[in-house]
Amino acid sequence: MLLRLLSWPYLRKHVLRWTLTLAGIALGAAVFVATHAASQSVRAAFQRTVEDIAGATQLQVWAGDFGFPEEVLERVQSLREVRAAVPVIEAVIDTGLQGQGNLYVLGVDLTGDRGLRRYDLESGEEALIDDPLVFLAQPDSIMLTREFAAQNALQIGGRIRLGGMEGEKWFTVRGIMRPEGWAKAFGGSLAVMDIYAAQLMLGRGRRFDRIDLAVEDGVPIEQCQAALKKLLGPGFEVEPPSARGRHFEAMLEGYSITVNISSLLALLIGMFIIYNSFAIAVTQRRAEIGVLRALGATRGQIRTLFLAESAVAGVVGSLAGVAAGLALARAVTANTARLTQQVYGVAQNIEQLFVTPALLAAAVAIGIATSMVAAWLPARQAARVDPVQALQKGKYQVLTAGENRLRRVVAALLALVSAACLLFGSAGWVFYTGYALLVPVALLLAPTLSLWLARLLRPLLRRLRPVEGALAADSLLAAPRRTSATVSALMLALALVVGFGGIARSVYISVVEWLDSALNPDLFVTPSQNLASRAFAFPAEIGPQVESIEGVSQVQLVRSARVLFRQKPVTVFSIEVASLERTSPRPALAGDPKQMYRLAAAGQGVIVSDAFSRLQGVGYGEAVELPTPSGMLRLPVVGVTRDFSDQQGAVMLDRSVYQRWWKDSSVSVVRVYVKPGVSPEAVRRRILERLAGQRRLLVLSNRQVREHILQVTDQWFGMTYSQIAVAILVAVLGIVNTLIVSITDRRRELGVLQAVGGLRRQVRHTVWMEALAIGAIGLLLGLALGAVNLLYALENALRLAGLRLDYRYPFELALLLVPLILGAAWIAALGPARAAVRARLVEALEYE
Amino acid sequence: MSRLLFALALATLAAPAQDPRGIIEEVQKRSRSTSQRYEGTLRVINARGRVTGKRWRYDRLGSHGSSKAVLRFLDPAEVRGVALLVLNHPQRSSDQWMWTPALQRERRIAFQDRRTRFFGTDFSFEDLEERDVDQYDLRLDGQEALGGVPCWRIEARPKQSKVSQYDRSLLWVRKDHYVYWRIENYSRGSLLRRATYSDIENVQGIWTARTIQMADLRQDSRTLLKLEKLEYNLPLKDESFTLQALRVE
Repeated sequence: MLLRLLSWPYLRKHVLRWTLTLAGIALGAAVFVATHAASQSVRAAFQRTVEDIAGATQLQVWAGDFGFPEEVLERVQSLREVRAAVPVIEAVIDTGLQGQGNLYVLGVDLTGDRGLRRYDLESGEEALIDDPLVFLAQPDSIMLTREFAAQNALQIGGRIRLGGMEGEKWFTVRGIMRPEGWAKAFGGSLAVMDIYAAQLMLGRGRRFDRIDLAVEDGVPIEQCQAALKKLLGPGFEVEPPSARGRHFEAMLEGYSITVNISSLLALLIGMFIIYNSFAIAVTQRRAEIGVLRALGATRGQIRTLFLAESAVAGVVGSLAGVAAGLALARAVTANTARLTQQVYGVAQNIEQLFVTPALLAAAVAIGIATSMVAAWLPARQAARVDPVQALQKGKYQVLTAGENRLRRVVAALLALVSAACLLFGSAGWVFYTGYALLVPVALLLAPTLSLWLARLLRPLLRRLRPVEGALAADSLLAAPRRTSATVSALMLALALVVGFGGIARSVYISVVEWLDSALNPDLFVTPSQNLASRAFAFPAEIGPQVESIEGVSQVQLVRSARVLFRQKPVTVFSIEVASLERTSPRPALAGDPKQMYRLAAAGQGVIVSDAFSRLQGVGYGEAVELPTPSGMLRLPVVGVTRDFSDQQGAVMLDRSVYQRWWKDSSVSVVRVYVKPGVSPEAVRRRILERLAGQRRLLVLSNRQVREHILQVTDQWFGMTYSQIAVAILVAVLGIVNTLIVSITDRRRELGVLQAVGGLRRQVRHTVWMEALAIGAIGLLLGLALGAVNLLYALENALRLAGLRLDYRYPFELALLLVPLILGAAWIAALGPARAAVRARLVEALEYE
Repeated sequence: MSRLLFALALATLAAPAQDPRGIIEEVQKRSRSTSQRYEGTLRVINARGRVTGKRWRYDRLGSHGSSKAVLRFLDPAEVRGVALLVLNHPQRSSDQWMWTPALQRERRIAFQDRRTRFFGTDFSFEDLEERDVDQYDLRLDGQEALGGVPCWRIEARPKQSKVSQYDRSLLWVRKDHYVYWRIENYSRGSLLRRATYSDIENVQGIWTARTIQMADLRQDSRTLLKLEKLEYNLPLKDESFTLQALRVE
């Protein structure tokens, strides 16, 4: 009843404000839905591909990205619990065909693969599967899906050109599959070839990526799994296909954290917009509340009224947010897929959004909860309205000295607790409690600090415009409560921007420093454009071939891939450590650098990245156990360095150790140093002239690699820019709201000003200066709080991502924010200022 | 190849002539040779009448249970040079490797689904295995004249320990030469495959069917195998049946 009688008329009168409130809720819900839908879609696409390709596979055997020697297959097949075991090689390659993008290449042994995957060919081609002899005898044989073949106008006997390790090669289409069952995987962009042809094409040597197997009838899967684990040892993973999804999730942990931070930020911003709107609504409806209270309405009824309004706003805003989020999700998904490919080397084919009802329900629930939590304080203030004081304009905006003191004392106590949590809180929950306390501390201090800053600004404003400046400053000083919500929102938004920007800057500087010292070769010879891609590898002969080219001083062979360490994917790098020490020595964060390199070169230890050490909890001197096809490799950590190769952590070991334990001599990247005085570009051309015709090969200059890595880093921290946009939005919305209330409150004052001869221009300037002052105060507090936030954010980065970063305040960003926020404040003031000028003088004087 | 087909005959211990095991033993004994070579011509005729053909040379060294064989494809051009090395073992499944000249490498083949057709023919891999007689129960099912030729009809059922796609086979053995004349393989009462032998000739004292037809009753297709240039007991060398030898030609 009250909603209809009181809230509805107010809503109709203030459509714009309510729209802003709904926008606040919608913003949070939309970002939540879009980021999580994108994240879910990428995961679902990966899982779907894994499960589709698996066919009837019950268990899979693998040993990280490095693969394993072919002999392992015979051992698996010899187990009586295994009904069928077939080798698999898989890779996602760029077709280079217009509009086709990636192609999922599956190398299988057709002589046995039918036991696990049903090859449903277009009619007339069954013979290919029944008689795979021609397919096997001709290494250029390829099977495509009908969809892919149709898109590229290919028929049986047609030819398709694909890039492999031996360069571009023509493949003959010898089978076209119906896009059903597992052939639907990867959106039908699927090609099947003989496993040995795939080994050649992808440079796998005599290794397989995986073994898919079916368990003997009547044997429980767990029994077969246990038997295989016992047979193969700890170097191998034996899991159902679904487990690969879990590992993918673990790999994306860093990304998930970023997504959650982004969602949380959006929700916080939304919350402050709502808080701001409701605080203003309470202010404007104070007289109305006073009358209601005088007529006998209880405090509870008033509180319930505002909370009910917030709940309704929450429902409407959330629904709008869900719709906007779904619209936004496709673009975010494409970006997420691009990022996972660039950073993790895992290409996706995301055809459809994966949105669960639970996600949508969570978004609506979060939207409503956010709205109600944000409206709680204004609702409580409304409930506490004194009917008598409600009729005295402006009084309620003043903070009493006692109230201020109490706030300061509480804030100081909370600040102490927060600092103690930061300094001494080893447990995660203690640290995060401390981090969370930073928000109430800032909010409690905001009104006092705003007041102090307004006092400091008054002389400056007066100096700029004696009359308008003084009036604007006095308006702020007279009603600190009115501006504190906007200032607080702006302050928190900017603090987040500064914190995140600081992290981004520190990471950027650290990455540059790492690039300078660790990635200092003149040229990088790689089989893929994307350095994170692990689809291709060179044979070991590439080393001497490159080294013999005129102008090359020395080469270093790198083999890198992900393995599972304690069920988490980490990157293992192998390189000639002694050579690396000579060319790219790195400071040791733990351990003696000389000894670190000496022991690692001798195969007596591994060097781990800081992130690995932190995230996996393995410190200097402790043993690392790495699963290898030859068993568990156990070596002590002889040094810890800063390394950005893998967010989950990286382990570096000598190439001799790698070759011995992984029984693999292939090469992911060749690091090339040119002789002094020789142009790297000339050497690059010579390498290409000599080798490009023989094999798939790219020669990247140091600058290109740096640019690529920095571009990915920028992309990762691109969120900073969206946060700045959100902060500006907060500034604009908050200031618009605040000024509207300010003008409403000061209608009589502004009317008097005009009545005694004040010019419209002066009224307009007064409003503008008030807006600029609010912006400046929010800016100053935000930049200051950002400095503190950065401290916590660095500790957070260390805890979550294992990144030990130096404290570097983002001054450039802070300087950029000054004109942006002040400009936004001025723009926000344009509308209210026009409204103030247009107010009818008589009405203004009659106000109150 | 025919050695493999003859493997359908089940080795047995000495037994009276009218005893089914004794009959099978005699079949084994009369077909025994130290080595064998032939060129096989294969024609597969599918349900729609489409005909595909292959030709190969087959060398076998050793006798039942522990023989070694190399099958090298001669035609068509797409598969020329592809070779198969089969090492049979008395107590376990054979080891098989395939050499692919275009890839210049051999692959180990683990045909774990023994029901799978042998490279598009109507023979399944199980049909080509050398089987252990002890894993079958044999029973003389009767005597009849098939195509005017008097035969014993013997029923073979795999014992419980034996995994087979068939639950029953009927073997017709010619009384005159102790060679197979027909074999029918059943599963759940349905006839799945029928092998028919013809063009019986005495080659170097061994009565041999020069033409074998295998019909897949479910697919309505059949495969005709003709043995040409057949020779027995050649002086083949052991080293010709290795992976190294497989790579040479």
